[in-house]
Amino acid sequence: MPSAIGKEFLQPDSGQEVVELLVKYGDRALVVGGGTFLHGLVARGVLREMDVLIDLQNAGLSYVKQERDALAIGATTTFAELAAAERVQNKPELGSVLDALRYPPAQIRNMATVGGCVATAMPLFDLPVAFMALDSSVRAVGPKGAREIGLHKFYLDYFEHVLERTELLTEILVPRQPSRSASAFLKLETNANDLALLNVGVRVTLDEKGTCRDARVVVGGGIGKVPVRAVSCEDVLKGQRPTLALLKESGNVVSFDIHPVSDFRTSAKYRSTVAKVFVRRTLLRAFGRLGVHLDGQS
Amino acid sequence: MKKIINLDINGQSQEVAVGPHHTLLQVLRDELGLLGTKKGCDTGGCGCCTVLVDGKAMYSCMIFAMAAQGKKITTVEGLTENATLDPVQQAFIETGAVQCGYCTCGMIMTAKAYLSSNSSHVPSDLEARQAIAGNLCRCTGYQKIVDAIRLAAGRRIVASSEKG
Repeated sequence: MPSAIGKEFLQPDSGQEVVELLVKYGDRALVVGGGTFLHGLVARGVLREMDVLIDLQNAGLSYVKQERDALAIGATTTFAELAAAERVQNKPELGSVLDALRYPPAQIRNMATVGGCVATAMPLFDLPVAFMALDSSVRAVGPKGAREIGLHKFYLDYFEHVLERTELLTEILVPRQPSRSASAFLKLETNANDLALLNVGVRVTLDEKGTCRDARVVVGGGIGKVPVRAVSCEDVLKGQRPTLALLKESGNVVSFDIHPVSDFRTSAKYRSTVAKVFVRRTLLRAFGRLGVHLDGQS
Repeated sequence: MKKIINLDINGQSQEVAVGPHHTLLQVLRDELGLLGTKKGCDTGGCGCCTVLVDGKAMYSCMIFAMAAQGKKITTVEGLTENATLDPVQQAFIETGAVQCGYCTCGMIMTAKAYLSSNSSHVPSDLEARQAIAGNLCRCTGYQKIVDAIRLAAGRRIVASSEKG
């Protein structure tokens, strides 16, 4: 790795200590979780010089806890640890998270951290989309104390979020989901170690009669600067009985909510076309987890 | 600023002087001369630098050397015991799962970690391919590597059943 990065390597013992270091070093410090994205940025010359690297592995932030109203996932919990956590097993409502964790190769799953993935604010990442479909929040600590921010208000732009330089993201909070809910996630990628060309996270909730009471559809991966909630797709579903035609209709209106970009990996036109199909397929997967199996799979 | 640290590599404590930006890969190859671990993309995309950290497959090009303190690191040099190849290495030889050889050590380490945590059955072709999804090979077409993983898995099951 180029020596432009890091003159000091610090391993604080708590989140509070990290905040003290961030106050002390300000813009000169960079917080490192699993470090799996950092090295690529440095190699490409994207990351400017950083004097101090703050490694979080000793900060006591690796855990999955059930709080009264939410599942709290510590920031340094690795993808593999979260995927294996007992509290996320056999829960259709958390399907989007487990789906998203299956895509990266073993090496990345063993290293990458949940908090790092969320805090990098990279709109092509998967987990943020999966968490946003579940109305998740982040908890951050800073010099003024702790605060919670909904993920839908968290991201501003490529690599930019609302946290101050002196704040540390400590937890992702996945709220208790409504009963009869299931979620799912799908990603289009070119190989097993790729950023998303497009990704979709959904959560659907049925009422006692099997009507879709509520829905969340979130699209990410090259459709804008931040993942987008596709309200048009949700509105098509609400109050309706799920059918294949309804899911197709929901997918087809996604163009109202997303603004795909063209880049070296694929074109905006292709992303627009695939988004419709992927919304439909992700919905199919989520409804399937509620026992609603629609004929004539896409 | 360089610091002297101790790393547990293949069961031996190694004292090395490293800077904050040095990766585990750099230390293994440049400081310790353990050249089995290869440098490919150096950005976590190709897998040929894969080592085991506390038994888990990881890209050594992405681990800061200082962050590896206190962990058990195994490289391909550490798989051989008393001049006997690890069964995974042996299976790679027997199936001809090597062409240019550049990816091989990373493949073996990934396969080793996978087989250690999935010891109860012989993986299907698909499972074996998914297990090595983080490792690129540009020569073999993967099939012989998949065959090697399945061969090693099968022998392991036979061996453990014979032990009873």
